[in-house]
Amino acid sequence: MSDRSKKYLNPYLGGILLGFILLATFYITGRGLGASGAVKSTVTSVVHTITPAHADTSPYYKKILAEGNPMSNWLVFEVIGILAGAFISGALAGRLKLKVEHSPKITAKRRLIFAALGGLAFGIGSQFGRGCTSGAALTGMASLSLAGFVAMMAIFGSGYVFAYFFRKNWI
Amino acid sequence: MKEELFVSGRWIPKIDPYLEIWHWSIPVYLFLGGLSAGILFFAALYTILGKEKEMPTTVKWATFLVPAALVIGLLCLFIDLKHKAYFWQLYTIMRFESPMSWGAWVLLFITPVSIAWSASFLKELWPDWNWKYPILEKFEKLFIEYRKYVAWLMIAQAVILGIYTGILLSAFNARPLWNTSLLGPLFLVSGLSTGVATIMWMSKNKAERRLLSKIDLLLISIELFLIIHLFMGFLASSAVQIEAAELFLGGAFTVPFWVFVVLLGLIFPAVLEFLELRGYHIPALIPSLMILVGGLVFRFIMVDAGQITRYLY
Repeated sequence: MSDRSKKYLNPYLGGILLGFILLATFYITGRGLGASGAVKSTVTSVVHTITPAHADTSPYYKKILAEGNPMSNWLVFEVIGILAGAFISGALAGRLKLKVEHSPKITAKRRLIFAALGGLAFGIGSQFGRGCTSGAALTGMASLSLAGFVAMMAIFGSGYVFAYFFRKNWI
Repeated sequence: MKEELFVSGRWIPKIDPYLEIWHWSIPVYLFLGGLSAGILFFAALYTILGKEKEMPTTVKWATFLVPAALVIGLLCLFIDLKHKAYFWQLYTIMRFESPMSWGAWVLLFITPVSIAWSASFLKELWPDWNWKYPILEKFEKLFIEYRKYVAWLMIAQAVILGIYTGILLSAFNARPLWNTSLLGPLFLVSGLSTGVATIMWMSKNKAERRLLSKIDLLLISIELFLIIHLFMGFLASSAVQIEAAELFLGGAFTVPFWVFVVLLGLIFPAVLEFLELRGYHIPALIPSLMILVGGLVFRFIMVDAGQITRYLY
């Protein structure tokens, strides 16, 4: 455990730094952070490439495509930057190796399946909520949007509620 | 009655307003050519310096990729040819003022040299290897004996090949983006860097990888310096060159070039290599792969963007 404190940043410090990054993002790009938006752009352009007819008729994709090339969106590049930055951070902390982090009580396979299911659910949810933790909650609250506060409470509130049913995967 | 038919205006399909003659096969070929030049350059260099033992991947194992890369590259070049049956006519003349002639001839020499070079190490890889024909055995013996002399020849050919991949483009005097003499050195350095990245990826020897990392950092710095000077040159030139540069400075190629080539293909792998030299653990695959992809994207962008730039309006 003593090893762990060296490998990871203090979470309170990390949170404050994240806030400053958000501030810098507003200052530099004129808009906030986001993550699910990049996935949305990628999925839309993949669908548009494979079945253009479907993308042009689906109301969801049509709306995104109407705004131009979905990949020329700053969130796409932000996420590329996150990958690159996270890589350097992992290297500096000596954590660059391929492994699945999971509770000792479950197998890596179970962890991956549940992570994928959770990710799917969150992806769908983020599109109903028009944004994820970064785009809707974090950026929304930073701009004092009521919806941002509601999103934050709803995401973490329902997280607490549903964690009860899945707690055996961790504890 | 005498009739005369006039066709007015500019109707030159695939040449005007944009050149539309080179597609994927040319940048792939330029990439593979540069990569081969890079690997062979360092194989020859460390043979001449007498460091075969310290740099086994550089001198021996990485060169096994070169014949394959050259053959695939040449195949790409062949696919691009309009009159495929007449390619041999390139070998009926040597024109010093034509980059294509330089390229054709240097490829004619460097391909067999690279095959023989890697073949001469086959017995070190598989001690049971048998050439079957005594003449091949004799040739191998001769080649190993004179390897250092071959290395001198190979290093010169590798430099010519590397530069040629750039001047092939810069010889187009009607395309302002290409028509700069910086393209030769820039493509050479980029090719050397992709070659080093490949060797680093393959090498299991720590000391060898450290040295290659240092070389690659130097090459990336030179490449960045050349890229900056390329744009400085364009911006200090005539209106067509300024317009060509603007494709990269706010135009359609800005993001692919600065994000995927400069940031992710040069600066980011350089940071990772620097961290590795400082003792941090970095999987060799990551910086190498990024440099290779960056090099490939760079050639695609240069070929595509160059065909768009023009003098006539």
